[in-house]
Amino acid sequence: MADKGLYLYCVALPSTTLPTQKEDLGIKGIEGRDVFVFQTPTLLAVVQECEQSYGSDDMKTVSQWILSHQAVVDLAWEKFDMVVPFSFGTVIVAKEGKSARENLLDWLEKEQGNLKSKGEKLKGKAEYGIQITWDPMKVAPRIVKTDQEIQKLEKEIASKSSGTAYLLRQKLEVLVGKRMEQAADIYFNELYQKIKRCVEDIHVEKVRKEEPPRQMLMNLSCLLPKGEMDPLGEELDKIEKMEGFFVRFTGPWPPYSFV
Amino acid sequence: MEPTRTGKATIVDLLDRVLDKGLILNADLVISLAGIPLIGVSLRTAIAGVETMQKYGMMKELLPVPLPSPSEPTIT
Repeated sequence: MADKGLYLYCVALPSTTLPTQKEDLGIKGIEGRDVFVFQTPTLLAVVQECEQSYGSDDMKTVSQWILSHQAVVDLAWEKFDMVVPFSFGTVIVAKEGKSARENLLDWLEKEQGNLKSKGEKLKGKAEYGIQITWDPMKVAPRIVKTDQEIQKLEKEIASKSSGTAYLLRQKLEVLVGKRMEQAADIYFNELYQKIKRCVEDIHVEKVRKEEPPRQMLMNLSCLLPKGEMDPLGEELDKIEKMEGFFVRFTGPWPPYSFV
Repeated sequence: MEPTRTGKATIVDLLDRVLDKGLILNADLVISLAGIPLIGVSLRTAIAGVETMQKYGMMKELLPVPLPSPSEPTIT
């Protein structure tokens, strides 16, 4: 094993004392290999043996690796209650005369304070993804109807000759665009505050491109105790009922975003 | 509203988490898998189409299973 690497899935706090230092977790990991648990007195690491250097440019292969990674972290999350998940593709290697296993155990011992405090913070909690999108064409009529400046400009267009009206229409388009941007900011703040009140921790993620005409207003990762999502679900129901707004609610995920 | 772990958007959410999140270890005893960041970008692009997802086995693995049970993993 000295020349093998160890693929690291997650670190966890043991919920029971394991009988041995190396226990089979009972799941196949990346490339169908056995997944093991290495334990120190205070922490355990979920790992599998792998080559010290490998990779792939085949999407199907990598897709399978990603799904395997997630399945193993999910199982550990179930079994140990608290996990600190690692990013996909973390491999501990043998170095300076020490095997990968020795390096891993040394590192766990060195970092145990930091890892334990992360673990305690995440104990019994789950992560959820929330994406709110809107269809600006469905929201715009409401904004146009209530904006005095737009209303004034529309009346002016109706009373002018076609040449002047054309120029004013261009001005109107710019104004409506500006008002929609302002509305997006206002909705973001309002909805963010409502969601924040229902969760323990919240991260604002980069918005993703949506299929037109929809646009993503916000992409959030939220942390809350497992099974305590009723108030959040109710708040999201209210948002979903708003004309032109759509909500995606995914999870529960192991707390990848809060480590 | 109940959270879900099925559907196209869920796969993108899963990729975002597994590829970009999680603890990152910066130590000289750690290597990263070759080519993975590039593949991550390509995968996200590929997921725009359901057919592509089926081609790469992601729909098959994720969609028919309402909530992949940790005790009965779909990946072996």
